[in-house]
This record gives sequence, structure tokens and C-alpha cells, in this order.
Amino acid sequence: MRPGTPGPLIRGLATFVAFVALLAAVRGAAAQSLAVPPNGIVCTTSADDSFALTATDGYISLPDGNSVYMWSFASGTGPFQHPGPVICVDQGDTVTITLSNTLSQPVSLIFPGQSDVLANGVPSQPQFSGATLTSLAPAAPTGGSVTYQFVANEPGTYLYESGTNPGVQVQMGLFGAIVVRPAGHPDWVYADASTAFDPAHEYLMLLSEIDPYLHMALERGQSYDMGQYRPRYFLINGRSFPDTIAPNGAAWLPDQPYGALAHIYPYDPVTNPLPALVRYVGVGSADFPFHPHGNHSRVVGRDGRPLRGDGGEDLSYEKFSLPIGPGQTWDVTFSWHDAENFSPSNPIPVTVPNQQNLFAGAYWSGSPYLGGTGTLPVGGEGYNQCGEYYHVAHNHALTQITSWGLTMSGMMTYTRIDPPEPNSCP
Amino acid sequence: MDQRLTRRGFLRLGLGAAAGGAGILLAPHTRDRLARRAEAASVLAQGASLRYHLAGTDGWISLPSASSSTYHPDGLAPAGLSTYMFGFADVTGLDAAQIQAMKNKCQAPAPLMYFDEGQGALVRLTNLGLAQRPDLTDAHTIHWHGFRNVIPMFDGEPSSSVSVPIGRSLDYYYRPREPGTYMFHCHVEDTEHVHMGMTGIVFVRPAQNGGAPGIPPGRYVFNDGVPPGDPRSTAYDREFAVLLTEVWNEAHWDDAHIQLPEWSDYRPDFFLLNGRVYPDTILPHGTPPGRPDLAYQPYSSLIRANAGERVLLRFANLGFLKQTMVLDGIRLRVVGKDAVLLRGRDGSDLSYQTSTISIGPGESVDAIFVAPEVVSGEATYLLYNRNLVGLSNNGEPGLGGQLTEVRIAPAGTLPPQSAPNQ
Ligand SMILES: [Cu+2]
Ligand SMILES: [Cu+2]
Repeated sequence: MRPGTPGPLIRGLATFVAFVALLAAVRGAAAQSLAVPPNGIVCTTSADDSFALTATDGYISLPDGNSVYMWSFASGTGPFQHPGPVICVDQGDTVTITLSNTLSQPVSLIFPGQSDVLANGVPSQPQFSGATLTSLAPAAPTGGSVTYQFVANEPGTYLYESGTNPGVQVQMGLFGAIVVRPAGHPDWVYADASTAFDPAHEYLMLLSEIDPYLHMALERGQSYDMGQYRPRYFLINGRSFPDTIAPNGAAWLPDQPYGALAHIYPYDPVTNPLPALVRYVGVGSADFPFHPHGNHSRVVGRDGRPLRGDGGEDLSYEKFSLPIGPGQTWDVTFSWHDAENFSPSNPIPVTVPNQQNLFAGAYWSGSPYLGGTGTLPVGGEGYNQCGEYYHVAHNHALTQITSWGLTMSGMMTYTRIDPPEPNSCP
Repeated sequence: MDQRLTRRGFLRLGLGAAAGGAGILLAPHTRDRLARRAEAASVLAQGASLRYHLAGTDGWISLPSASSSTYHPDGLAPAGLSTYMFGFADVTGLDAAQIQAMKNKCQAPAPLMYFDEGQGALVRLTNLGLAQRPDLTDAHTIHWHGFRNVIPMFDGEPSSSVSVPIGRSLDYYYRPREPGTYMFHCHVEDTEHVHMGMTGIVFVRPAQNGGAPGIPPGRYVFNDGVPPGDPRSTAYDREFAVLLTEVWNEAHWDDAHIQLPEWSDYRPDFFLLNGRVYPDTILPHGTPPGRPDLAYQPYSSLIRANAGERVLLRFANLGFLKQTMVLDGIRLRVVGKDAVLLRGRDGSDLSYQTSTISIGPGESVDAIFVAPEVVSGEATYLLYNRNLVGLSNNGEPGLGGQLTEVRIAPAGTLPPQSAPNQ
């Protein structure tokens, strides 16, 4: 914090707005549409596995107060949203995706990790004009459409993105995630019991970046020299911290429907034995070295394939930094163990200084103990509700936890750990 | 004064090395988590001693450059120094007046810390404030990056916990349960305080160092469960911690001159190993003779071993860019990443041989090599950043940056290592 810069004020306001909404969402879960929980992955599903995506334009809000012009995929005739819908299907489903294009350039769809994709009924192939590669897949012209189809053979996490002018169009926002669940096992990541997770705690972290000068140029119909490309904003699920911790469907982020707050309970062998699942997707131009505090993550799958050797060896591994590369997907399980079981009757072996001798964080409960509360500074932010713990999860290329001058923003979110139930949490 | 501090620091490290592992029983590699809960009750009975005392403050270091520019060397720097830093000073065992005297005397990187698995210990952090920036009242914290199942109180992320205002202190309690190489840093205004130099390596020695059935007491990276000589063994004779960081002159200059950089313009000018750039990396620990300007960069990165010895390199990267370190002429075996033994849940050996160590921001790598035979005298190998931009100092001609030497002596030449990095 420092005098003379606008950062802290804006940060404080944005944090306040996001957190008030978070409280409202957690408290008012019953008021949420059943289809959209306050946090966790928001799947778009279809009874016949047919989906309609409309390439369109709009604006997103960023926590420095900026508003940026985007291209993105809307769901059918629904409103502009960023990122595109999260398409969830089951292994073996024949998935049909009809792309309609309202943008000024031809747009196509590619499905990295899927095989035998059809476009308008014939194999989807790179497109050439003479010897010039014009598109990675058949494209829909302005006002036109293309129907793509594939069989979702392999469970896991995937990306869909534009294959036309992709250096520009993907950066402009034309991407989304696909989740394929193993047949008969929505609670496994892959067709493998060792990848079991708790479906009540499933999260998507779609990591992307924005060069606002590129977006401004396209908004004005101007050209842009991609040699000047330099991202300034860094997003999770189309939002920048602190908006990342606002609930799914937050009213003040009408075009950015997906939150990124993970909300879990401590591991317990009886009441909470299964880990949460986090599906990471990289849509940037370089690795995003993502670092969730609190515990290692277990990497169980990469790019839609389980980490198993040809001989069935278990090749999964634990890491504290997850370098999510361009176009990669990482499926990781995560849990937090109350290793020391600290409580007032098993106190921490240090004395917590009194209020005058520390700075209390906005999400600090006033107590070191899970479920505990204590005195907080008068007039402080005090967002903690019931002694829950928070652990930050952020990009460790720390230049990317900024928003074009606003620090402690960008590619950052939190994991909320509630005390075991019964608790006093709303 | 820093000579004294540095010597004292290494003395303490030596004592710790001798004491490490004594009386510790081997815990099975996959211990029952429930059993760990039962152990928790004994925390207080065990007691937790103050292991390290760090002071957060500012200071100046020396990074060589043949030319000068607006940002380097900084015109406000004391004679002989070039670059404004935030960092930690080692004030372990000092009295209040001595601690206060360390204001504006941070070192780069922070003091190397290490712990024994299962042993509870305290680290005290005192915030001395910033002498060059009295207007800047930033708090500090210690974030042990990668510590498993930490409670927010001891995680150092300021929004979810508490941070230490100027003139105050806070104790962090750690009982590490997982051996391996970690790193630590201040988490307040993370981008700025980490880049400004509040970074260090911390590692945890395994319980297996005290011996286990069929495994003699010794030095191991992990509880690998196999005797030395087994290809999966993580036994070693010497260990060297190597922290990779970067310095972007403009950001450091800005902090000294009450300015702020635009972080998305980030473009580092110096690439450091343990707080120094080549050729300073191969000078001795402490303040090298004739080099008073290195008084605040006490760590050498010179790696020395006898032929035939097993040498452990503990890498951690707290820069903002991915780097690739190459050891020319000697094969490395990567045995751990992010403080995890490279072995599958079913026992599959996932370690591998390589001559390149790619390491992204916030990652750690444990790699072992066997020192080759020497024909005569001492043999020199080079360990360097294959991102060749990282081999320049300030963009100037000539070799610099993240480069150091590995010098191999004939068997029996060097005495056993009494402290890490010696
Ligand atoms: Cu700090
Ligand atoms: Cu960190």
C-alpha cells in the first residue's frame, strides 16, 4: 500500500463489491437458480448433445475500471458472454456443435484432443486457397454457419477455439472448455477409480490474457501489428481478481458469468473423503505457472488423457506449481488436511499479537483456528463469516497478478475452506 | 559487520547439520494421515524453539555493469553499490539494538533456511521498515511456498491472515512433514516485494537421515526407502541450494525514487544465482577479499566436490520467467520436483536423467550428479542458463548472469561438507 497511487482505493472497492456479493451468494444459495450454483463449474448440457454457439461481440469489465471489447461465443441466441459456454458431455456421446457467425471475419471451430471431427458432414480439414493456408478448419462466413460433429471418445478436459485467424481471434476471446465425463462415472475424472473426486466440489480455471491495444484496434476496425503483442490483463474464467471470487452469475458482471472461487471442507476420512477436482485450461501465449496455496495438487490427467503408463503404471504426481502451457489442460485433485488440528484446546505454539501490532487481512477471522473468530479492527473489511480459512491461488509469474497497473489483481483467486459441519457458516 | 553476520550464519548452519536427524525414526513414505493427527497433540510437549530470526527491510546490492544508464547504477546508491532492494536480514541471536542497526542492510537472497522433518520450529519476522522509503509503510510476511496443509496464520498471504507492520514482530510455526526443496518469500504486495528481493530457499531434511531398517544414517533428499547404491536412492555427499531470481533495473530504480513500474512491461536486465551474477557467483561466501561491494550478497554459487561423490543441486526459481539450467558434460538425475520424490503412488520410478533443468516461476527441482573422475588437478564444468539472454549482465557483451562453475577435485581432496553450499 502506498500513498499517491490509485491502486489501493480501486482494489479496496472492487474487493468490497466482490465480497459482499460472495456473502450474499453463500447466504442466499436457495435464491440462486438451481442450475447455477454460486460457485463451482457451470455446465451447459443438452439432452441430445447438440449445442449452438454464436460468435459475437461485446464488452467485459475489469477491476481497474476498464471495459474491454471482446469476441466470444454466446450460447445459441443467448446474450454475449465470456468465455463461451462450458460444454459438458458423457464419454461416447456424439456431440453436434452448430457455429453461427455474426462477426465481420470468418470464424471456425477446432477441437484439440478430439479425433475424426466432421464439418458439415465431411472430415474437418485445414482450408487452403491455392497454396495458402486460410483456416485450420472450415469456417462460417459472416452471417453463415457450420455444423461440427465428433464422438467424445475420451474423458477429460478440452478446449474449443477458433481455427481462423487464430492468433487474433483466440486472443479476442473465441474459446471455451469442453468436459467429457467417463461413462457411468460422473464422479471420476477418467475411467479409472483412482481419479475419483467429489462432484459437489468441481472447478474450472480457464486461464487467459488480454492485450487491450489489440482489442481497441479491432473495436475501431483497425489493423494491429501482432509484433507489438503484449498482454496486460490476466483472467480466470474471463474475470480478473477480485471479480474471480464473485459468484457465478453475479449481477454486476452480466457478461462474465463464471466465478473461480473454490469452496471446500477439510479432508475427513468419514465425512469428506474425496478431493475436489480442478480442471485447468491454458489459453494464453506462454506458461501460466499457477500456484494454489494450502497444499500440493495431484495431477491425474493432461490434455484429456489419464496419467497412466502403457503397462498401467500410476504416473500421477503431486506439485505445488502447475505450469499450465498454451492449449494445455491439467486435471488435478486437491484437498486440504487439518494436519495439526490446532484449536483453543490444542493451541498454536505462538502468541498472536494484539490488533495494534498486526495488519489484519480482509478475509482474516481474527482467530488462527478453523471455525474460530476474534476481534477485528474497527472499520476494517472483515469479510470472514464463520471462521473459515482462505488460501490464495495465483499465477506465480507475478507480473501476471496485475491489471495494467493495478496490483494484487489479475490471475488470482481463493480457495475457501469451511469448518467441518455442523458449523455456523451461512 | 556483515562478515561477522555471515560467519555466524554459517556456524549455525554447521551446528544444525551435525544435529540433524539424530534420534528421528523413519516414517513410512505414505504415512497414515490419521496418525499425523494424533501426533499433533504432542506439539507443545515437544516445544518449538526459535530457529531463525529474519528482519524485513531495504538495502543495496552490487550488480556489475560496464555502462551506466538512467536506471543502473542507481544514482542514490551508496558508493560501490548499484541496486535498491527489499529483503531479509539475518538477525538470529541479535539483541534489540543490534537488530535495529540492521535497518537498510538486507541481504540478497534471504538467509538459507532448513529444517528437519517432523521437528516443530519457529521463525520470527521483524519489520524494520524501509530507510530509503520512509513514506512507504508496507507490512511484510513470510510465505513458505509449498508448505502443505498450512493454516492461514502461518502462510503469510496477507489478505487471508495477518502481516507484520513496521516495528513489530510475528512468529511463524512450522512442523514440516514432507522433505524436499521449497522456497520462501514475502507475500505482501507480492509482485513488488518478491521482485525487490524478499526471496530465499528453505529445505527439509528427511527422517531417513537418521537411518531406517536396511538404510544407514546419512544424507538423503527424501524418504526413498532404498539403501544407497540402489538406482532409486537419493543419497548424496554434498548439497548446494541455487536460487534463480531476476532484476529489472527500472523496477528497482522506481522503488528507490518513489515511482512505480508497469509490471506488464517486465524485462529483466540481470539474472542472478543466489543473489549474484557471474563472475561474482564463483567468489567465496561472505564478503570476498577485495570485494566489500558484495557485503550484502553473501552466497557463493561455486560448486565443489571430490571425484566420485554424489552432489545434490536444490534449484528454486523465484524470478518471473521460466529458465533452463544446463550442466555441460555431466548427467543429472532429477529425483524430485516441488518437494515431491519422483515416484508414482504405485512405486513407479519417475526420476530421469537429463542435462537440462527447466524450472518455471515458483517451481523447485532436486537433481543429483556423480562427480566424474579427474585426470589431473581440478576439472571445471559449467552450470549455466541455456536461455542465453540470461548469460548477459545488463545486456552487455561477455558472459555474466546465471552461470557458475562446478569444480571437481581428485577423490579425498575436500573434507566432508559441514554446511550446505560449502
Ligand atoms: Cu514484504
Ligand atoms: Cu510463492
